[in-house]
Amino acid sequence: MRNKLLAFFLLWSVSTQAQVQSRLLKGLVLSEKDHSGLSQAIIENEDGKVSLTQNNGSFSIEVPNGVTKLLVRSIGYGTKTITVQPGENDITVTLQELNQKLNELVVVGYSDKKKSELTSAVTVIDSKKLNDVTSDDIGSLLQGKVPGLYAVNSSGAPGSAAEIRIRGISSINASQSPIFVVDGIIGGNFDPNDVASVTVLKDAAATAMYGSQANGGVIVITTKRATKEGLTVDAKLTTGVRFPDFGKIKMMNGSQLYNYQKELYRDYIPGDTGNSYKIDLLRFYADRPRYLDSTNFNWLDAMFKPALVQNYHVSLAGKTKKNDYYFGLTYYNEDGTFINTNYKRINIFGSNTTHFGLNSSLTNNININGTIGKSYDYNDVYYAYLNLPWDNPFDSAGKPVYVDQNVPFKWWSRDKINPLQTAENSNHEYKGFDVNYDLDLNLRITPWLRYSSTNRLSAAYNTSSDYYSPVVAGQYHGTGFLDGTGELDYGGVFNNLLKFDFTFGKSQLSGLAGVAYEIDKSQNMGGSGRGLPFNLKVFNVVSSNLALTGSNNEAEIMSYLSQVNYNYEDRYFLTASFREDGSTAFPKSKRYGSFPAVSAAWLVSNEPFLQNSKTINNLKVRASYGITGTQDIGASRYLGLFSLSSQYNALSAATPLQLASPDLTWESKHEQDLGFDLGLFERLSITIDLYHNITKNLLLQVSQPLSVGFETRWENSGQIENKGLELALSSVNIRNRNFSWSTDFNISFNNNKLKSLPASFVRTDSWGNSQIYRNGGNLYEFYLPVWKGVDKQTGAPLWEQITTDSSGNVKGRATTSNYANATLEEVGSAVPTLQGGMTNTFTYKSFSLAVNAYFVSGNKVYSNNLRFAMNDGNEPLYNQIVLPKGYSIWTHPGDNATNPSPENNANSTEPSTRYLFNGSFLQIRNISLSYAAQSLAKALRMEGITFSLSADNVYTFTKFIGQDPQVTITPQNFNMPGVDDFKYPNNHQYLFTIDLKF
Amino acid sequence: MKYFIKKISHHEMWSFSAICSQACSIRVQSARAGLILLTGLSICFSGCLKEIQPSDAITTEVLTSNLAGLTNAVNGAYSLLKDHVTFNGTEDANNMYLRQYFQMSSFAGDNVVCAQVTEDPLFLGFSYNHAPTQANARYFWYISYKIINDCNTVIEAVGKDSTANPNPAVQQLMGECYFLRAFCNFNLVRFYAKPYTQDSAAPGIILRLSTNEPEQKARATVAEVYKQVVSDALEAASLMNQPRGVIFASKEAAWALLSRVFLYQGDNKDCIDYSTKVINSGRFSLCTADQFKTMFANAQSSPGTLFCIGFTDKDDYGKFGSIASMIYSDGNSGWGEEYASSSLRDLMSEHPEDIRWSYIVPLYDADSNIVLKNGIPTYYDTKFSFQGGSPTLSSPIMFRMAEMYLNRAEAYSKTGDVKDALDDVDAIRNNRGLGNSLYHGILPGGTTALQVVLNERRIEFSFEGFRMFDLFRNNLALVRDYWGYHLPGLVSSSIDLSVKPQGYPNEIIQPNDPRIQYYIPIDEVQANKLCVQNP
Repeated sequence: MRNKLLAFFLLWSVSTQAQVQSRLLKGLVLSEKDHSGLSQAIIENEDGKVSLTQNNGSFSIEVPNGVTKLLVRSIGYGTKTITVQPGENDITVTLQELNQKLNELVVVGYSDKKKSELTSAVTVIDSKKLNDVTSDDIGSLLQGKVPGLYAVNSSGAPGSAAEIRIRGISSINASQSPIFVVDGIIGGNFDPNDVASVTVLKDAAATAMYGSQANGGVIVITTKRATKEGLTVDAKLTTGVRFPDFGKIKMMNGSQLYNYQKELYRDYIPGDTGNSYKIDLLRFYADRPRYLDSTNFNWLDAMFKPALVQNYHVSLAGKTKKNDYYFGLTYYNEDGTFINTNYKRINIFGSNTTHFGLNSSLTNNININGTIGKSYDYNDVYYAYLNLPWDNPFDSAGKPVYVDQNVPFKWWSRDKINPLQTAENSNHEYKGFDVNYDLDLNLRITPWLRYSSTNRLSAAYNTSSDYYSPVVAGQYHGTGFLDGTGELDYGGVFNNLLKFDFTFGKSQLSGLAGVAYEIDKSQNMGGSGRGLPFNLKVFNVVSSNLALTGSNNEAEIMSYLSQVNYNYEDRYFLTASFREDGSTAFPKSKRYGSFPAVSAAWLVSNEPFLQNSKTINNLKVRASYGITGTQDIGASRYLGLFSLSSQYNALSAATPLQLASPDLTWESKHEQDLGFDLGLFERLSITIDLYHNITKNLLLQVSQPLSVGFETRWENSGQIENKGLELALSSVNIRNRNFSWSTDFNISFNNNKLKSLPASFVRTDSWGNSQIYRNGGNLYEFYLPVWKGVDKQTGAPLWEQITTDSSGNVKGRATTSNYANATLEEVGSAVPTLQGGMTNTFTYKSFSLAVNAYFVSGNKVYSNNLRFAMNDGNEPLYNQIVLPKGYSIWTHPGDNATNPSPENNANSTEPSTRYLFNGSFLQIRNISLSYAAQSLAKALRMEGITFSLSADNVYTFTKFIGQDPQVTITPQNFNMPGVDDFKYPNNHQYLFTIDLKF
Repeated sequence: MKYFIKKISHHEMWSFSAICSQACSIRVQSARAGLILLTGLSICFSGCLKEIQPSDAITTEVLTSNLAGLTNAVNGAYSLLKDHVTFNGTEDANNMYLRQYFQMSSFAGDNVVCAQVTEDPLFLGFSYNHAPTQANARYFWYISYKIINDCNTVIEAVGKDSTANPNPAVQQLMGECYFLRAFCNFNLVRFYAKPYTQDSAAPGIILRLSTNEPEQKARATVAEVYKQVVSDALEAASLMNQPRGVIFASKEAAWALLSRVFLYQGDNKDCIDYSTKVINSGRFSLCTADQFKTMFANAQSSPGTLFCIGFTDKDDYGKFGSIASMIYSDGNSGWGEEYASSSLRDLMSEHPEDIRWSYIVPLYDADSNIVLKNGIPTYYDTKFSFQGGSPTLSSPIMFRMAEMYLNRAEAYSKTGDVKDALDDVDAIRNNRGLGNSLYHGILPGGTTALQVVLNERRIEFSFEGFRMFDLFRNNLALVRDYWGYHLPGLVSSSIDLSVKPQGYPNEIIQPNDPRIQYYIPIDEVQANKLCVQNP
């Protein structure tokens, strides 16, 4: 049957050529070095007819009967002329590689390109460089490795993901995160262990192909495929332990707190006469019995414990003539360092490619991913820090003791809560699964034209619930509480493209044109209720306060895309692309946006005068300009809306939800990039990129005076300019038979400015912390009273008060102890201006040692924790931090202190620069030592065994007084960007890995 | 075809993909046609993007196009008084109009004592260390104007109909909107501006009378605001003729509001008139002593309730979000950190038989000693508890019959009509278990009728948000010469309950202290350049 088919196919193929006296010659083009197949190699017959090889290097071409010659060449490889004898078939041609690095295939946009052909700013990280750190999150793995990519691990909760920004922050209210493209399709799911490479697309030349979703940059994930014939099995087993990283703050122990609290008993009534300023010990002992001095309980130790991490990954890969397959299975299990938290994930990935016909293939990928975990309640972390060391959470039997307002024993802590008892009797569970199925068809139509269809269907169901047993103290005592939500997301992406590729003379012209369509739908349902008998935790048993929630969502994007690439003699490259997107996020007349890009590159090192240079083995100059967009702000933002989700007395109630904005449309980012790639002595490669991006028509929630009844209105307003410089160095410093040392270093500078805003506006969070958005200012610029220390005479807090004349000019600067009179000032941004990373890798015989560091500078971080934990007696029954070096509390008139008198502390903990710190840090991200046990592997008839030990998040050098200077940079509920507020601490992690290859 | 499938089923684990690839390789024969078809298809089924409507919201135009929608919108204005609306990206349990209304008013008086310093902005009511950034005053301002926007939307939608809709149901809805706008504006001007009786030309609040006026707008004067409130309330009273029950506004509620506004304005005659109108309306009656004991737990069915905000089981916000959680706890139901002050209890101590003691609940330990919290005796208040038995649920009363008597009494006292003033006070006392301690028209020596009335108001309306306004609008100082954490730097061992505190700042707040006005929220001043900040 198959032969018949093939014959039929060949017949068709031949008949279209209408050359009776020719025959079809088949063959393979391989790299001389490793005999791997070369794709896109050009085979030219004597008549000038051209054929290209497919991915495995195979080709077929019509040749005249009789002796004939073929010219075979491939970019980055030498050229060969082959003589073919009559009747000779299945020939193999090997080509010598000119420059290995330049031939790596890079997955960009809707096509693959060789590195040498690139005209855009792109960074590729292969799986080896990616997986030095062990994490379930790709963002953490990329941290510090890609110039221009800023990744923040703002939470240490199990399973949490890093926040990623590429080339600064270019949106305010629209999504700022890059999009992920997995195996050529926007969105999708993958396991980091199954990733072969990550390509970060940074400039519009590369990202504009993703048009409306590419403002934040694009991260292209390519999953692993079989690389050689036969079966390869790889098993990687990792296990280790994590410890919480509490950063620079140290909470007081019982004795420290006891001594500190004496300060609250100073005989000082502000404004009164006859103050002695002495500590009134009699009163102190009356309130704080002496036994407290030796009562010490460490809450953090009780609520945070060392936790186990495990990651097991097995993969099978194999290749036959007709089929490639890859199968990966991952089990990841992370216990949280905070009590009763964890995260487990299982991921199954299968990929199969069937090759058929001439250069045609069909690929099926399926990825199934299931997650189960336990989250935490912010309050429990809060109390772990702030409960007093004078309270013991355990009874004599070692069980967490029940505490409420009316318990007969003395509970010193401010709030009558034992967080251990709550955490033990509550659950914050989440579960979910996610399935992607990809079907890719790659069909040759003529030697120069292909049809490519890449399609994905995806579905995910995620649930989360919170459960409090009736035994917990607090509002759910006696009844218990349950809430839960479930969300179904489903949708598809369908790309249908025609791709062409011509070679004529010294020129090559390739490109594509096609249509893409995306649809996403979601629906969620949830409920809450009380009255849970016998610790049962399902909605069926809820007996009171039952409430339901639920809503649906939908979005569609329709796109038309095209791209043309021109290459002359592998020296001059030109690429132009155009994409047109329509999004349902905007009103009908404003739906479509255009996203063009053009870029060029000159590969100087391929010029005759450099071709044989021993010094410069690669030199390229690149330039690009293009436009990308954003539409990701949620549905229906342009409508004037009333919400129907509230009720009054069990009747439907409509409340004003949103102001209308009938002209709302795309935000677009205009990007320019100039880049240089330089390779020296086959050892050192340098990439420099300069960029200048302006985001126009920002999708902005413009602050309204609250008196209109709305906080904001969606408008297209204002601009953000991002300018930057990126430098990446990769160097092989020493390369001997037994020893090598290589360094990867990158550093990026970014400067952002807001422009063209109609008026400046201020965002203020629920604690009163403000950030200002103003023309000429930076994004996330803190807008706070400037802390001026402590009044020497009265011990009162001081802030700066600026007086201005009617036209706003500064007339004078003074200090005030009246917080309400303090002037709000621009005091620095939460966005860093510099960041980078460095990895040094040493190998000696079978040993390898890698050290990876990451650094950030130029940002400010606000420690909201200190509002509670260094509160000058405003909340005397919260535990306090041990005062850092150089800090002191005011004790008497004339005292030069940093912290106000607890007796004269009005508003001292209100937002000000007092708690704003330099956010710079240098972190030793990872140290890993591995040993490849070759002889053992040989003895066991295995391909390889590697043992490795690694330490992640080893140490952070910083001046920040808080848990960790890595805090969120995303405006979100409860948190403003750059504000640290009792986050789940990050972790130190120590792991042992065995990697077995069969 | 059957054979075909059988053949490839040998194909190990990848049979499905093999089927597809085989199927596709057949299609190669007609690849060109198929290609055109595929591309064409994908354009066809996606060429026209859908109009997507939100699943739980509706456009303003659709909502206001019919009576059901208008009714929803009006219900929404009430629900905003009790909902926790997202603010600054956060749905915070502290943020509820009524919770903040009571903390901003009651806690800034002398009936409530603070037993614990706290970072919660409710503390600023006690300390008077107000700031433009304080969360409660910011949210209260925001939601007030959201309610006003809601009302304006309905008023405009109905007004658009030039037939001047004669439907009494629609008129009732319109009237409720005018009422709620007046109610919100009046509360705003009380919190964020000087008392009318002190300086009616001072900056008041921003009057928003339409949904499409410029965002930038200056504050109206206090007098202008009062004028608008009165005119809205009069309009409301004339439109509302189809009462929907006490959880909605009614003609009498509008009159009650007028009674209160005129009292604050010092317009005694009108105050007396409108109080009398409500008293004589026949729809409500003063609670008897027995009825009073359960009035607040059963606000919706009490004969004395003129207007309350309807809370259901679903609106039981528990420890974090309820009003009661601040002033009462059964051990777990609340924080219970603010108590009846010694100054209030001293005033009431003359009459242990006063039925109003039933709302003041002391907490005793096992030895029957009063429990001290940081040195302050624990006297909970339960005016916001026990609807349906829940310690954290009530339908807070906005207007009740007793106020009409005591508004009128105060107005009488100011017009020199001592007898009528004392008779109205007696009407209250007679129903509070004080039948043996009536004035019978005779003013006790050394007091004035106004003092008698204000003392009665203080006891009757404790914890209901009246006291601070009653003092300042009458140009009286707030005296808090009792132990509590409104005294800065106080430590519990300094507390000697047998004497009064000495030497602390903050014991007396004068009525001309600029701090008796809350600051205009930072959000408004930043975004509205025409809005001047309070001194």
